[in-house]
Amino acid sequence: MKTSFAKQTVSSLQGRVKGGSSLLLAFFLLFSLTSCTYNKLVEQEEVVTQKWADVQTQYQRRADLIPNLVNTVKGYAAHESETLQAVVEARTKATQITIDPSNATPEQIAAYQAAQGEVSQALGRLLAITENYPDLKANEQFSELQAQLEGTENRIAESRRIYNEAVQTYNVSVRKFPNNIWAMIFGFDKKTPFAAEAGAEKAPEVQF
Amino acid sequence: MSNLLTHLIQQLQQDRHTSLQRAVRHTSLRRAVLFTLLLGVAHICALPTLLAATYTVDNLPIPYLQDKTQYVSNPDNILSQTAVDSLNLWLGQMEDEHGVQTVLAVVERIQGGETYDFCMALARKYGIGSKQQNSGLVILLSTGDRAYTILTGRGLEGTLPDAICKRIENRQMLPALREGDWDEAMLNTVRAVKAYIDGDDSLVGSSDFDDDDDIGALIGFCVAMFLGLALIGLAIWYDNRKKAYCPSCHQHTMKKISSRVTKNKRLGLRTHHDTYRCTHCFFIKELHWDEDIRSGSGGAAAGGALGGSFFGSGGGHSFGGSFGGGSFGGGGASGRF
Repeated sequence: MKTSFAKQTVSSLQGRVKGGSSLLLAFFLLFSLTSCTYNKLVEQEEVVTQKWADVQTQYQRRADLIPNLVNTVKGYAAHESETLQAVVEARTKATQITIDPSNATPEQIAAYQAAQGEVSQALGRLLAITENYPDLKANEQFSELQAQLEGTENRIAESRRIYNEAVQTYNVSVRKFPNNIWAMIFGFDKKTPFAAEAGAEKAPEVQF
Repeated sequence: MSNLLTHLIQQLQQDRHTSLQRAVRHTSLRRAVLFTLLLGVAHICALPTLLAATYTVDNLPIPYLQDKTQYVSNPDNILSQTAVDSLNLWLGQMEDEHGVQTVLAVVERIQGGETYDFCMALARKYGIGSKQQNSGLVILLSTGDRAYTILTGRGLEGTLPDAICKRIENRQMLPALREGDWDEAMLNTVRAVKAYIDGDDSLVGSSDFDDDDDIGALIGFCVAMFLGLALIGLAIWYDNRKKAYCPSCHQHTMKKISSRVTKNKRLGLRTHHDTYRCTHCFFIKELHWDEDIRSGSGGAAAGGALGGSFFGSGGGHSFGGSFGGGSFGGGGASGRF
């Protein structure tokens, strides 16, 4: 009786130790998994932030080019003041909006995009009227300025593409199971990619 | 062309009406003739596209990959061989001295007709330029689309800003393009680009990144290959000697007398059961060894592949180049003429 009791105690004790260690193991695994997920999310969020900074740099670069462009056009087409004024105003409006990517709401991003889109449209109108001024088009300085502007538009498109890729990678991580649980606990929200530019879905008109 | 087509369609419709009255045999015969005619029309339509290929990023040949002295892709033979040789020489100097890796392509037509998009896709596909400097350069002229682009890698945007690219295009390329002198246009452009690159000492040559030059790499490769082959030979010799060892009389006089193979598909294993008999004392021993079916037979295949690649690359006088993985942000300038 006594021995069997002792045996029982020993076995239950062993069982408890076993249970305890497996619980500990589970906690350890959980912790390591969580930290792994957490670190990955932090890394990807940092990439998104950096790519956003690249996008803003390119938009800033365009904003810096505009005064020079406006002045050059003014020299040849001073009476197009309305179009020139529109570009300057759109630029001023757009440069006032800056976004902190770590806590930007989708609305903020949309507002930023809309403001920059207005600059694009005003610039498009300005470049369209320059077609009417052969002297301006023949001006080498203007040609090079225009090339810089085109290059900047290309850079904007490229940096936006890269930003969207980073956002997509991050969003997929955040929404995947079981990452979504940890993302919810640690407050990793989905990020907003750039939407296609208004009018970009239209194919350009060809006139002969 | 469209007149002919409508005529044919009208005839087909007429044919359908009359076929109700006529014998079925006649209709099918006429249909066959019409079908052949239509096929002929389709062929004539397809002919111009067959004569001059429209290039995509995927089917544009890149000779550089086979021979690292060939930077120019001239699949439609628009440039003369003399011009191509000069261009290759200058672009080679640019890579050796300043680590600027260039792809210059002159084609009749590209898909989509947008040279900037094409260059960007090309740069993205191959990763032109070194990763350290991001000093890739793509120059494309599509004579049929009458469009051109100079695309600069991120690391070249300081040396060749967009405005400078445009200036080179306006001053060096355009006048020759307007006269249809493709050779002169490309030679002038590369000459001007090279002058800007040569003026920038911050760009360092490819030889500064990896110290060993081609000859050193070749010697190292040969030595490694010789050692590798010797090691494989030694292993095979040792393996055979071990198999021939007789545990009874301690001599290497065992000969294989039979062998049987069993397969285990689930594990992906092929087990060999070989029986050896000693020619000296007639002792018999069994050897069992497993072979992984999934990865193929190891030693012989690896040896063959190594030997093959050795002789393959030993034949030519220069090696294929590889692109460094440089990135492009969209810098450069494009234009039409």
